[in-house]
Amino acid sequence: MSSQTQVEETLDLSKFFDNLWVTIVWDDPVNLMNYVTYVFIKLFGFSKEKAHELMMQVHTQGKAVVSSGTREEMERAVQQLHEHGLWATLQRDDHGRV
Amino acid sequence: MGEFKGAAANGDLSVALSNDELHILINLVEQLLELLGERNFTHHYQSDDPFAQLMAATLGNIQSPIEQPDDPVLRRLLPNGYADPESAAEFRKYTEGSLRTLKQKHLLYLREQLVFPVDHELPKADISITDPTQWLIAINDLRIALAVRLEIDEDGYKKYELMPDSDPQKHLHAVYYWLGGIQENLISHL
Repeated sequence: MSSQTQVEETLDLSKFFDNLWVTIVWDDPVNLMNYVTYVFIKLFGFSKEKAHELMMQVHTQGKAVVSSGTREEMERAVQQLHEHGLWATLQRDDHGRV
Repeated sequence: MGEFKGAAANGDLSVALSNDELHILINLVEQLLELLGERNFTHHYQSDDPFAQLMAATLGNIQSPIEQPDDPVLRRLLPNGYADPESAAEFRKYTEGSLRTLKQKHLLYLREQLVFPVDHELPKADISITDPTQWLIAINDLRIALAVRLEIDEDGYKKYELMPDSDPQKHLHAVYYWLGGIQENLISHL
């Protein structure tokens, strides 16, 4: 990026809110509970407790938000989850109403 | 049932598999590789060599498909990344090819590890697990493929137990739960 474009950039709050995307993991009957926990720890660096809690949320509620960030970051997370055989999608964050 | 020895941390983790178990596993891996490769090399390349297939799959990626695959196993292994169909198709255009290639890579790795003992009289072969993550992903994909074909749901195990031994599908269900045992065991050895 040249210094010229940096100068011309203005503060745009809508841009900030557009950056909020979430990755959702959905329950399925195949993936083993300890495998899902293992994948969460490996991909997102969660503690064992946090990974277990999210896994249980997927298992009992059918889905859980496992990550949030920019659209690009969430696309990358979804690709990695798919590589590991988990069923995941990304969407714009609508404040918990997934 | 695969018996594990050693520890991943020491780099000497291995699983003992019988010749029958090796046959079953090799067969499943090769079938899934074939299914994953289909779309890419049906028209572009015909080869029995897994590496050539991998290359063809990678190169075939240039003209990425954007529709969901027809086969339900592929739909589950290569799922949509977005709920809305338009974004899902766009995402698939850029990611499905590399996802297929990664899945093929993990399965090819597993296939290479599955070697029969030199002495065929030995009842079991010790298969070393040099890359547990690739093992787990490959085994998991095999379980997903079997589950879709056998229509296994949350009550799958209860249904399996109630199946009569005369049901020809029963042993495929048994393979599915055997793979689950291997996966569970492997994780506990990490």
